[in-house]
Amino acid sequence: MSTDPRVDYRTEPSRYRHWKLACDGPIATLTMDIAEDGGIRDGYKLKLNSYDLGVDIELSDALQRIRFEHPEVRSVIVTSGKDRIFCSGANIFMLGLSTHAWKVNFCKFTNETRNGMEDASRHSGLKFIAAVNGACAGGGYELALACDEIWLIDDRSSTVALPEVPLLGVLPGTGGLTRVTDKRHVRHDLADVFCTVTEGIRGQRAKDWRLVDEIVRPAEFAAAVRRRAEALAAGSDRPAGAAGVALTPLARRDDDAGYRYEHVDVAIDRAARTATFTVRAPAAPQPADVAGIEAAGARWWPLALARELDDAILTMRTNELAIGTWLFRTEGDIDAVLAVDATLARHAQHWLVRETVGFLRRTLARLDVSSRTLFALVDRGSCFAGTLLELALAADRTYMLRLPDAPATEPTMAASALNFGAYPMVNGQTRLARRFYDDAAQIAAVERTQGTRLATSEADRLGLVTSAPDDLDWDDEIRLALEERSSMSPDALTGMEANLRFGGRETMETRIFGRLSAWQNWIFIRPNAVGDKGALKVYGKGGKAQFDFQRV
Amino acid sequence: MAAIDYSEKIPNNVNLASDRTLQRALEHWQPNYLKWWSEMGPDGSTDFDVYLRTAVSVDPSGWAHFDHVKMPDYRWGIFLTPTDADRAIHFGEHLGEPAWQDVPGEHRANLRRIIVTQGDTEPASVEQQRHLGLTCPSQYDLRNLFQVNVEEGRHLWAMVYLLHRYFGRDGREEAEALLERRSGDANNPRILGAFNEKTPDWLSFFMFTYFTDRDGKFQLCALAESGFDPLARTTKFMLTEEAHHMFVGESGVSRIIQRTCDAMHELATDDVAKLRAAGVIDLPTIQRYLNFHFSVTIDLFGADQSSNAATFYSAGLKGRFEEGKRADDHRLHGQTYKVLEIADGRLGEREVPMLNALNEVLRDDYIKDSIGGVNRWNKVIEKAGIPFRLAVPHKAFNRKIGTLANARVSPDGRVVSEAEWNAHVRDWLPTAEDRAFVASLMGRVVAPGKFANWIAPPLAGINKQPVDFAYVRFN
Amino acid sequence: MTPDIAPDVLRQHLIDPEICIRCNTCEETCPIDAITHDDRNYVVDPGKCDSCNVCLAPCPTGAIDNWRQVARASAYTIAQQLAWDALPPPQAVDAATPADIPQEVARITAVATAGQGGAAAPPWSAAHPYVNLHTLAKPAVATVSGNFRLTDDGASSDIRHIVLDFGSTAFPVLEGQTIGIVPPGTDAHGRPHFVRLYSIASPRDGERPRYNNVALTVKRVTEDHAGKAVRGVASNYLCDLEKGATVHVVGPFGTSFLMPNHPGSSLLMICTGTGSAPMRAMTERRRRRIALKEGGQLMLFFGARAPEELPYFGPLMKLPRDFIDINFAFSRVPGQPKQYVQDVIRTRGADVVRLLRDEQCYVYVCGLKGMEDGVTEAFRDACRAHGLDWDALLPAMRAHGRYHLETY
Repeated sequence: MSTDPRVDYRTEPSRYRHWKLACDGPIATLTMDIAEDGGIRDGYKLKLNSYDLGVDIELSDALQRIRFEHPEVRSVIVTSGKDRIFCSGANIFMLGLSTHAWKVNFCKFTNETRNGMEDASRHSGLKFIAAVNGACAGGGYELALACDEIWLIDDRSSTVALPEVPLLGVLPGTGGLTRVTDKRHVRHDLADVFCTVTEGIRGQRAKDWRLVDEIVRPAEFAAAVRRRAEALAAGSDRPAGAAGVALTPLARRDDDAGYRYEHVDVAIDRAARTATFTVRAPAAPQPADVAGIEAAGARWWPLALARELDDAILTMRTNELAIGTWLFRTEGDIDAVLAVDATLARHAQHWLVRETVGFLRRTLARLDVSSRTLFALVDRGSCFAGTLLELALAADRTYMLRLPDAPATEPTMAASALNFGAYPMVNGQTRLARRFYDDAAQIAAVERTQGTRLATSEADRLGLVTSAPDDLDWDDEIRLALEERSSMSPDALTGMEANLRFGGRETMETRIFGRLSAWQNWIFIRPNAVGDKGALKVYGKGGKAQFDFQRV
Repeated sequence: MAAIDYSEKIPNNVNLASDRTLQRALEHWQPNYLKWWSEMGPDGSTDFDVYLRTAVSVDPSGWAHFDHVKMPDYRWGIFLTPTDADRAIHFGEHLGEPAWQDVPGEHRANLRRIIVTQGDTEPASVEQQRHLGLTCPSQYDLRNLFQVNVEEGRHLWAMVYLLHRYFGRDGREEAEALLERRSGDANNPRILGAFNEKTPDWLSFFMFTYFTDRDGKFQLCALAESGFDPLARTTKFMLTEEAHHMFVGESGVSRIIQRTCDAMHELATDDVAKLRAAGVIDLPTIQRYLNFHFSVTIDLFGADQSSNAATFYSAGLKGRFEEGKRADDHRLHGQTYKVLEIADGRLGEREVPMLNALNEVLRDDYIKDSIGGVNRWNKVIEKAGIPFRLAVPHKAFNRKIGTLANARVSPDGRVVSEAEWNAHVRDWLPTAEDRAFVASLMGRVVAPGKFANWIAPPLAGINKQPVDFAYVRFN
Repeated sequence: MTPDIAPDVLRQHLIDPEICIRCNTCEETCPIDAITHDDRNYVVDPGKCDSCNVCLAPCPTGAIDNWRQVARASAYTIAQQLAWDALPPPQAVDAATPADIPQEVARITAVATAGQGGAAAPPWSAAHPYVNLHTLAKPAVATVSGNFRLTDDGASSDIRHIVLDFGSTAFPVLEGQTIGIVPPGTDAHGRPHFVRLYSIASPRDGERPRYNNVALTVKRVTEDHAGKAVRGVASNYLCDLEKGATVHVVGPFGTSFLMPNHPGSSLLMICTGTGSAPMRAMTERRRRRIALKEGGQLMLFFGARAPEELPYFGPLMKLPRDFIDINFAFSRVPGQPKQYVQDVIRTRGADVVRLLRDEQCYVYVCGLKGMEDGVTEAFRDACRAHGLDWDALLPAMRAHGRYHLETY
């Protein structure tokens, strides 16, 4: 048990309490064996391989280790170390005890982790197979749904189930309904039955309904899964014989006013309810060739940056709920950032570069779904270029300083090749395409400027800037914008920002997040779920939920 | 851009000389302001030397500096009453917190709206009055008109200062827009209705400065309570000038009444036709003008129930008149106030939450204050032994805004039929004939010490100068 | 409250309810919250107001600038003031104990007017004088806008015409009033110098008409009355002032030695030396109103050692004879018998007595202490010669504000 009320996302395999990561050539096995007394918070036991945020932090870390430390791994078997229990999903008592904000953050993180598995399958050649070797319910089945294939042990008792509706009066929180339809194409009427039977579906029917890919007798289960994993591995382009990069412990200095990393600094202004994320360009020359990159490893600026920024976002998001506005600033040499981007583009096919870009992609995608106002401030000495330009493009507003009296010292920004496809949002669009609603001419206009510095008026003309106050107005404009923002309803802002950030195109991921935000959040605060007699509250206490039966 | 010697050209106590933001804003705005003044300011007055009062500092000795100046050279200054470091917000939800020295972002939009609405009235009245100089009844009155004009101009400066200093680019754009709207222009009107009405004659002018500038006084008083300290301090200083405008109005009407009473004695008549033939304005006509200006002005306070008023108050942006002298909780939760309504063809009262009725509260304070001056006019009539009394019409009379809008209510407060209204409206509001008659009296009198026939000389001159002083030198 | 107010008399600050427009400016301006109001009136709390005058300039109407001498015991209360429709008539306060005049000024005044038997009533038509607007605690600051010598270079006395400008500070004066000059620094004992009083030599609307300025006639004191060499602190300070210098001024003072304002009133003026200052002020007042043809005569007896030592000799000589009847008396003109003003009064006895008989004629005597007896004797002689009893006439004249004497 952690006594620090703050959640720390940093961990490593030697500290895992719930998962085992075993790598055997091209196949890794992730075994869930949850320690009942290992909850990240007091007040509940993680029985029956039920999980909480702490469990998922380990899973997330394990996936990163596989990506970076084990490039030889090509397929991953996700299974359980418990007898006849695969996973019974998120711990219900934990949910009953948690605040609404905790539940939402928890769901968001578990979703991102599962999306990350699919991202790895799609981009990194890592295939996942869920070896469901026991009862699999709720979040357990959702974890399986995130894998490329689901193999269910056919022992006449093990079922897959989404019992949230009948049992808990809420929805599956990790994309279960969406993946049942969008990914697995379970017919909607069958899905209706599936989602309302507490005991779930087993055996052949589960396969017939497309809930699982295969069912295998217990005696052959492990070997069959192994064979399947080997087959999946054969199709992967992950390198053989490459040495992994150790993800060394992430150095972070915490104080009352924020979090400090080597390349990222988060300064919190509690009175103003803002945090300023300052991201620094590489201060030292960065390797330009593969050997140099491998040698630099976790110290390589883009990888280090991704780890730091990812940790900063998670830490702020979980621990600093009242800090409603995040300001993004950058510091350093634009050319240094563009040089790194050139390296990333040149060696895009190299596994480590690919993983690093993927890490950055997923980290930036966390910003898109942050329930925080994001403002980018492009002022003196900033280096919003290429990869770092994405921070500005992800922001709800970008303020860029104009210096009519000293145009030579005006800040600049710059696009690189990476702004045109390397970092899609979860809806599949680049942020520039999102910005310009796929208008080819506007995107091309920015594309033509790749690598050149755009002064404020030029950036403004290209549509990259929301507002360009000059030095006399800057302080007041920013202060007023922030104060005004801070005064508005946080709920309405979160909803509005999500609406505006995701205009147009939808993907399964956006639907998962959108439905989670809309339906699940609504249900989570309704008395039918969390009232004194609500289903989530009375679960496991012997009482019966009392519903207000009026449909809304 | 010609550099401005800021401290010389623009007297101020806001450290203009070292405030680049403000300088930059004014560099752009000031030439446009002068252009506006030359286009829309007092007609044909550019070369006159006018004996004007100029504020050169905020201490009592410094703000009443008299001299002959050409109006375009008037030193429009920027003055705030001295700051009180310990000032706290004394009403609304922020009660007890230190007063804001900067615009709180939360209230930016509302504060900007309040300031723009107030600021818009200042150039509007200059525009409304721009031709009056051609028909002035005396040099003394011409000077007073011009004094009112330059002070309205300064009030515009004061509001523009706030916009420039505290509202960034938005503020600069609003400041420009203040110079672009035009009183009475259907396509580009001033914000408030009364400021698009004509001020065609001097009786209207005096009524306007008495009634409508008094609205300004009450709005400024309410803003002088604001939790946004620069606004409070700016408006507080403006109030000292606004008082002069009401003096012009009150004494102007009083002198007209005096002259009429004198004529009634001389001619021993109260016959309107005879009095009009004698070239003075009969008391019933004065009453009708009064009815008009009073009713149009009380509309300026807004709807009788207003969520904006409640918001402005609760947010600490705009208080009540003499907020600091009131003894309640200054939050007003659960308190009620009576507003008028028409039910079953009759005027009645209804209790509504006071927070929503703050427009009505301010309107009622205003009415009380206006009645005081009307009673003082009655003293003039009373002293003359004439059995006639002026009265302000009922609050529901001739209203165009709020619950009572377009209700037919007589000046004495009876709900009347459309037929009765039409039968009597000529007795209640100035008719075209009234206006034509008053207009016929308007002729330019500018010889020192001479006054038009329809108005009595003042009891004393300005700044202890004699009445026949050369207040305006025509060059 | 002003510390130098006599204990039993108050110079009460009042607001004229007939002129006031109830704009609240004064209440807002008052630094000590001495002004309050109700629905009817704005009023000044006599227990709080310290006459700092801060409220005067901001008042848009002038209603604020009203002052009444009242017995302290019967000061108007706030409740009384709130009920007024108009200011009440002035209270009868013993004019011999001027309300709030600094003791020093009161002492000087008492000495100066001793010759007429104490302060006399002012002429009935005199304008209402403002007094003591600026106190030693809060003197007005005036700027010297002119300082030039009136007497010829060869003359034994250095008499100067000094013009003080009050800028935007209110300093209303009437002819015959005095103002106090506070020389800077301290005396040999480290005490502040005494205030010195000077009669203003300019009319009420300013030395330069309609400017806020006054003129003084100052003789540089180089010897005392006994002829002993002494350097007058204030006179030398004033005479040496450069144009543009600033001076601390208190006052104005004087509620009695005032000129009548009604048409048809006549002035009989007798003066010596710098005693000519008030005479010049009154004469100038009348001169500026010649066009109004208000009637009345001016008769002046003016004594000096010689013509070149007569202040304002030149300008006086230019005045029309039908405007003023001027009679000089020179005591030191070589080759001529010594003449004093009393001699000339006797010479013009018939005309003088005619004026003394005229109830519209007001008499003013101003000059060195030594002239008092001589003038009085001359009046007595002239009266006797023309069938009038001076000693019976004098009290009546004083009672009607017709006889004013100020000597030093």
